[in-house]
Amino acid sequence: MSAVEAGKRVAYYKGCLASLSAKELDTSTQALAPRVGLELVELEAVTCCGAGDIHEAEPDYYLHLNARILAYAEAAGCDTLLTVCNVCTLNLRQANFMLSGDEVLRDRVNRNLGAVGVPPYGGEVEVRHLLWEIAEGEGYEKLKQAAHKGLKGLKVAPFYGCQILRPSKIMGFEDPDRPWSLERIIEACGGQAIDYPAKIKCCGFPIIQAREETALGELIQPVEQAMEAGADVMVTPCPLCHLSLDAWQQKLEAATGRSFGMPILHLSQLVGVAAGLAESELKFKRHIVDPRPALEQLEV
Amino acid sequence: MQVALKIWRYDSSSGERALREYEVDAPEEATLLDCLDLVKDRVDGTLAYRKSCRMMICGSCGMRLDGAAVLACKVRMYDMAEAGHVPTISAMGNLPIVKDLVVDMAPFWQKFKAMKPYLQPGYERPEDDREYRIAQERMNVVHKEALCINCGCCVSECNAMESDPEFLGPQALAKGMRFVGDPRDGATVERLEEYSGEHGIWECTRCFFCNERCPKGVDPRDAIAKLGAEAIRNGIDRDMGAKHAKWFVRSSETTGWLRETELVPKTQGVVSSVKQMKFAMGLIAHNKAGLAFPPHVARDVNEARNLHKLVREQDRTGALGHVQGEKALARLGHGYQPGRDPFGPGSFRRPYLPGEDGDAPAAAGGDMGMGSRAQADVTPGEEPTRRRGAES
Repeated sequence: MSAVEAGKRVAYYKGCLASLSAKELDTSTQALAPRVGLELVELEAVTCCGAGDIHEAEPDYYLHLNARILAYAEAAGCDTLLTVCNVCTLNLRQANFMLSGDEVLRDRVNRNLGAVGVPPYGGEVEVRHLLWEIAEGEGYEKLKQAAHKGLKGLKVAPFYGCQILRPSKIMGFEDPDRPWSLERIIEACGGQAIDYPAKIKCCGFPIIQAREETALGELIQPVEQAMEAGADVMVTPCPLCHLSLDAWQQKLEAATGRSFGMPILHLSQLVGVAAGLAESELKFKRHIVDPRPALEQLEV
Repeated sequence: MQVALKIWRYDSSSGERALREYEVDAPEEATLLDCLDLVKDRVDGTLAYRKSCRMMICGSCGMRLDGAAVLACKVRMYDMAEAGHVPTISAMGNLPIVKDLVVDMAPFWQKFKAMKPYLQPGYERPEDDREYRIAQERMNVVHKEALCINCGCCVSECNAMESDPEFLGPQALAKGMRFVGDPRDGATVERLEEYSGEHGIWECTRCFFCNERCPKGVDPRDAIAKLGAEAIRNGIDRDMGAKHAKWFVRSSETTGWLRETELVPKTQGVVSSVKQMKFAMGLIAHNKAGLAFPPHVARDVNEARNLHKLVREQDRTGALGHVQGEKALARLGHGYQPGRDPFGPGSFRRPYLPGEDGDAPAAAGGDMGMGSRAQADVTPGEEPTRRRGAES
């Protein structure tokens, strides 16, 4: 590999899942970042974004918690906060718009941040998901070079999940009904993007604990449709969708008496395969449905 | 201009379905509803659809355009006709179809009525014996909810309702919030108890389709979040959804990060968690779950704890906390950001006109429309999803 040039410096917010049950998302993102022109500045003092749960239960605390994350990203000298999770992206972007669009509110929040020893937030950070960084512009050009190993026509079903598309006025990156970013990345990596209606729908994860049956009724749609459309694997930019699609797939099988065996990749893993990352970085053995058999055809 | 439409026709008495194409000559300012009128007047008088006010007030003409629920009177056809796009028009989702584009709204009104959508006076008479006055600040809490015209566009796309048809859904719950948030209403606690049932507040799957589709800016998901906040503020938190939410609060101020391993017992209780043991063991075998030891603790987590204490003292709890962000969020244009080329790469609502962009991924479709190319052609009336996971 040629020497990696200095990339775009971004504050890296990995969120809860990439720190815990989806460590493979963190290792693959860290390994991939320099190859797509990103220099990750890890934030040590940040907490959970609240995952929509704190937003619902205690909205004022949610706002402060996220303001604190944004403030630390700004204090690290970064104008971009990079996320690898849909839910983190929505929560942080929403708080960011609330703070940057309402000075009175920002002043109040900053006074509170100051009172507990957190630097004030000036409202100058943009929250962006890894997906957006590599779907267009410089990142996309780098991606095309990095993905030299290619996916050799692997049939990949993109699954966006909800909170990277909607509400579109907060996300604002692409048409929430006809998104294109994952397809563009899949094709740049040499894969074949599979089209199916449920790719923009819900995986059920937010209620998978509290209303499992309803959640499974949602989850079956993307899994079943991707399978019927002939996908070898599915890819998602969200670790919560990943957990739902990968781990709860066995509950879906138990409930329906059918066998799916659909491997689910994180976005960073899919690009990582095309970029030739090592298994120690991709960590496929952490998946419930092992993707390695489906990827074996690429080794030829 | 020439406007072409593909319309899903449906006859419930014979069960016959067909996708028919129509073309009419319409004025440039014509809406979808105008074009349907032209089809009915000049081409096929048997076409059925609902309409009344033609100005986004009555909420009658909800239907799907390329798979997405819209008010037919709000959509102008000029851009689509110019681009040569032939949209597919079908009946709304999640409600039974009566004929063509007309759905049976009975289940919708049933849930609406279940919310008791009227004030149940509980306020004390003002001392000066004059009218009951409310500060603007208090009414801001229900400003968006009061805009609802009961058109059903949110319900049409509700992902949780597709899976559980009994879910109260975005329209009914937003209506509920309109009364929970009204200071004149005297049944707040009873309402919150009722709305917190099995098919209530905590069954919302946060897919945000309702916010996306609502033609009036009600943002039903935000209303549901307000209900959740009000329920917790009033101590109505027995539901697993409420316990789940509270565990995130607790985690954030103790370790900073979600305490994943304890989430299941904290949400579902110990007995139910034991039943999940087999599933959990499978996850543990793949390092997906298990005890993180020593626990992963964020640096300076005491700051989060102190922030929590501080904001609690300032008492912007419940719906008031949600409303304080609405002003800033209302300033956001719908979709793309200012300064961005609305049709450039990466922008919102990129039309992908045929042959326009060699770089466009083939799978993303060749013409303007909603969802995937396949989505608009899902035959209405046929089960679009599997009801509940248990049935195959």
